[in-house]
Amino acid sequence: MNTHQQTGDTWLSPVQSLAHKLNLDSPWVKHKLDFVMPMGVTIIRELLLALALLFGVSLVVFTILYAAPGDSFSLLLSGERSASATEEVAQSLGFSNSWFGQYSTWLINILHGDLGTSIRTGQSVFENVVSATINTLNLTLAAMLVTLIIAYPIAIYTSVRSATPLNGPLTIFAYVISALPLFWLAYIGIFVSTNVFDYFPLGIGLGVEDDMEIMQFLLPVLILGIGSGTVSEVVRFLKLEISRVLEEEYIRTAKAKGASIWRHGFKEGLLLPTSQIISSKIPFFLGGAIIVEQVFNWPGMGRMAWQAAQDRDFPVIMGIALAAAILVRLGSLVHRMIYIIVNPRASHE
Amino acid sequence: MYTEFSQLPIEKRQDIEKHWWKKIHRMDLLYLCYGITIVSLVVISYFLGAFNLLPFDPEEMDLDNMMVGIGAEGHILGTDFMGRDLLSRMILGIQAYFLPGLLAIVIALSFGSFLGVLSGFYGGRIDTGVTYFNNLVDSFPRLVLILLVVAAFKPDIYYIMIIVGLTNAPVVAALIKNKIQFLKQKNFIESSIAMGLPTHLIIFKHILWYNCRSILIIQATLGMGEAILMETSLSYLGFGVQEPTPSWGNMVQAGSNYLMQGNFWPSTAPALAIMFTILGFYLLGDALNHILEGRKS
Amino acid sequence: MKRIDIAKFLVITFIVISSSMASAAKRDSGSLAYGEYGRPATLDPITSNDMISLRITELLFNGLVGINEKQEIVPELAASWSSDEEGKYYTFKLRQDVKWHPKEGKEAEVFDADDVVATYKIMMHAKTITPLKVRYEFIESVKKIDNYTVEFTLKRPVLNALAKFTFKIIPKHGPANPVYLNREDPFVQYPIGTGPFRLKEVTADREVIMEANPDYFKGKPKVKEFIAKPFADQNIMNQALTFNAIDMIVLVNPRHIPELQGDKRFILQPYNALSYSFFGYNVRNPLLADKRVRRALTLAINREEMLSSFFNGQGTVISGPFAPGSWAYNLDVKPEPYDKSRAVELLKEAGFVEGANGMMEKDGQALNLSLKVPIAKESEAIKRVVLAFKGYLKKVGVQVEVQFMEWQAWKEAVFEQHQFDVVFASWVFDDSADISSLFHSAEVGAWKNNFGGYENEKVDSLIVESKLTLDHEKRRTIYRKLHAVLADEAPYTFLWTLTNYSAYHNKLRKVAIHPYKFFSFADSWFISGGK
Repeated sequence: MNTHQQTGDTWLSPVQSLAHKLNLDSPWVKHKLDFVMPMGVTIIRELLLALALLFGVSLVVFTILYAAPGDSFSLLLSGERSASATEEVAQSLGFSNSWFGQYSTWLINILHGDLGTSIRTGQSVFENVVSATINTLNLTLAAMLVTLIIAYPIAIYTSVRSATPLNGPLTIFAYVISALPLFWLAYIGIFVSTNVFDYFPLGIGLGVEDDMEIMQFLLPVLILGIGSGTVSEVVRFLKLEISRVLEEEYIRTAKAKGASIWRHGFKEGLLLPTSQIISSKIPFFLGGAIIVEQVFNWPGMGRMAWQAAQDRDFPVIMGIALAAAILVRLGSLVHRMIYIIVNPRASHE
Repeated sequence: MYTEFSQLPIEKRQDIEKHWWKKIHRMDLLYLCYGITIVSLVVISYFLGAFNLLPFDPEEMDLDNMMVGIGAEGHILGTDFMGRDLLSRMILGIQAYFLPGLLAIVIALSFGSFLGVLSGFYGGRIDTGVTYFNNLVDSFPRLVLILLVVAAFKPDIYYIMIIVGLTNAPVVAALIKNKIQFLKQKNFIESSIAMGLPTHLIIFKHILWYNCRSILIIQATLGMGEAILMETSLSYLGFGVQEPTPSWGNMVQAGSNYLMQGNFWPSTAPALAIMFTILGFYLLGDALNHILEGRKS
Repeated sequence: MKRIDIAKFLVITFIVISSSMASAAKRDSGSLAYGEYGRPATLDPITSNDMISLRITELLFNGLVGINEKQEIVPELAASWSSDEEGKYYTFKLRQDVKWHPKEGKEAEVFDADDVVATYKIMMHAKTITPLKVRYEFIESVKKIDNYTVEFTLKRPVLNALAKFTFKIIPKHGPANPVYLNREDPFVQYPIGTGPFRLKEVTADREVIMEANPDYFKGKPKVKEFIAKPFADQNIMNQALTFNAIDMIVLVNPRHIPELQGDKRFILQPYNALSYSFFGYNVRNPLLADKRVRRALTLAINREEMLSSFFNGQGTVISGPFAPGSWAYNLDVKPEPYDKSRAVELLKEAGFVEGANGMMEKDGQALNLSLKVPIAKESEAIKRVVLAFKGYLKKVGVQVEVQFMEWQAWKEAVFEQHQFDVVFASWVFDDSADISSLFHSAEVGAWKNNFGGYENEKVDSLIVESKLTLDHEKRRTIYRKLHAVLADEAPYTFLWTLTNYSAYHNKLRKVAIHPYKFFSFADSWFISGGK
């Protein structure tokens, strides 16, 4: 395939923009690229970046915790406490007192794969965070799906047929649902479910005796998908991408030839923007998950984070911050890989 | 094809500047009117609150008339869980967002533009550093970061807004950087430099003003919406604006305690206020964007 | 084609999600699920320090002695006991028919004197972190006489010492570390006890499932299963009750009482809490050092009105530092009624004059008080009380700045730095009604309970006197005097003791509730058959 053919001057070719993103300007790297699969390079770069970022995240969280007044050990000594008692507790838990001492201890432990134990419960942070992360991941992935299901028709409809009377109302609808307070929406959802459908929508472990269990997961997912505040941005982004792609020369050519523009536009206009918007909105969904998990008793990271922030449960907060950062980086990695898969040209450069 | 406004012939520029309003789409005009109405309502409410021109004293309690409905005892929107007038508190509630929200926007835009220009204009190592910073900020769920800071220090709306501002900066930076790269590709910047324009003029006038203003406007309106929603979520978790200072967030929270019993209004009224206000900002942003860029239809 | 694929994809996604989450245990009709506002930290009786854990350990463990519904001491793990005349030695004869809950796949072990000795030693070990340590420092040592007899030696005779032997006994073979117990020991999450229920499972959501212990020495309990279900939102918890997703709420929020009262399916059962709420003053502030000012503040707030408006009148206004349910409370000291003009008079007596803006001031210094309150997520009642306090005081010309603070920061400001004028808080008592740490001048200092810095010679001497006496009636007389003095001195504005309500489905019968341990009598509760 000839890669130079379509490098028009009005937009960055995927190869160029990839090169920009990956910072591959130096001739040496470009030369290397001829031999190494770009996928491998991308993965390695992403992993290195992720490591550096995780280090940064831990440093930021640690600094905040350390600078905060009060200390997490007082929690264990409700009521009777004195300065010396706090020292004793800290000693028995194996915490050193200085900033550097605490952070380096933590860092060395984590390099050995040990995230420590929760100050509050004494349980392994790793196990707790992993199980909470899986629950939160389920919630957020399903909620993203809901967001996309809402956003896609609106974006496609309004960008393909831009002058219909429904255009305005649809856009406004997307804005309205992004502007509602999430927990209020959740309360309304529960109220409607209990009063209109006479169904109590919380089910985890409650063992309500009927077969509607799937419903118990539907409501929190729907609420987070609708109310995470991202629908309007997703619509805006998709609209922009779709109309950009529709103006591409090859789409115009296809259109002129009478071929289906969808087959041509799918990758550029739908797949790439989707993976990009998903990866960039993960932090928002994780934030919204805190609220939804509180309301719906969902045993995920958000509930854990709230509890830990209140208790200053230092190892747990660190664990959750790292888990969240890992999810964000994973999202980004997946997006990069889709990018390369969709643009096989990238591997010939 | 794409042409820079500043590169158009002078007559055409004057023409556009004189008759710009003729080109406005009917829809945009509608959006613009709604947005301006909302913004002016917000500003009016701000001054009503600031000069204490309210139907009731927003802190005056009436323990015999707690949670009364619409219109009872002269309270147009009823009262809250302390028998305080809801309408007065809603008007005063905008104070919680007005200056702090502006601060969040100013931080996001100025810091974001700074980073964006740095990495877009100069590139290289600076770009790598800025990219790392952006990725770092993106790696935190915002609500988790804010929760951590307010739980660790104190629940203060300015702390919240500074973090909202800082975490929004990378988005602005990325958009501006892309725009600059795009302009570089079109040799726009090189030609400006060749023309002997001073760097600051290129950056502020030609890059930020002529080419990035729509980005900045959109981000400003989005930022205001996010600031309000963030405070609302924090209020639910107990770390938003604290009593007795009213904010829409803590009003929705306080009212929602009675929502399950079917008493909708005390939480729904401020929730709708939030919705209409944010909608106003969004539509205003959209309309301004279309007007400045010229709607493609 | 594509549309069908998408639909399929959606369905599959939801199924995958729900199946991965749906480890929900089906409840049978013999089980009782109760809602808790929060998750328990640990489940053993030694390291746990929150009410949620306390209630669970009540189901899983027993003490040497217990307390019955009439607040009398009754045998539990100890069949009988004796003490010498002076009250320095206590000997307990243990039951010989008690078995520990079996460890998984192992035979149940027999309870004996070694377990009692081990429990005491673990509890008092320097490396064990427990709030119990301070309470049991009066014990000098413990000795095993034979397999079923133990003897405790006290450092000095203590009044009502027997009631303190209610602490829960843990098995010597329980903790992985036999010397001391910390939160990393698996025992704190998977404890074994002798109690009427044994731990079956803790789910990912920290839902604690306990099943009836068939070998319980008082007979197998009638309720098959207890499930402690943590909620993060009280409104949702109440909804869960009304939709039968749970059967019981341990402590009903006052705002939900009217709703539940109107529902015939539920029984609201009051139980007295040995606790009271108060506004505490920092007498380090020279303006508050004057007792007339503190009394004026007490008179200026309408406690009856707050109680009826915010708590549906479910409580009692108090006049002194004891819970009205306790033997120490002096019923002759009546709470002073709301009297605004008398409050203003008292302030004027104390040298205050009405300033230009109607605010009270003394030597040009306005009476401007900072009220610090810790943030709790479910805090409507707290908010109401402190805001009402501010409102009432504004009417007599006193300015109050309400400041909500994060819990740890609040503790530091109040207990360590003493940077406050007023706090709103509650004290919860055990059976001893010991208030010496709250008002004695020796308890002034960082992290001590007399955070207001209150000092009064008469109060000090009464407290010392009460500590020296071993006679119950004598101590009662002293406490009644103390009550009268503190009511007059007003180091606190004593507010009220609230009546707590538990709500449960009417299928649950014979429910008796212990004031703060709650589940002490749960082995005789039962669930009536049929619906």
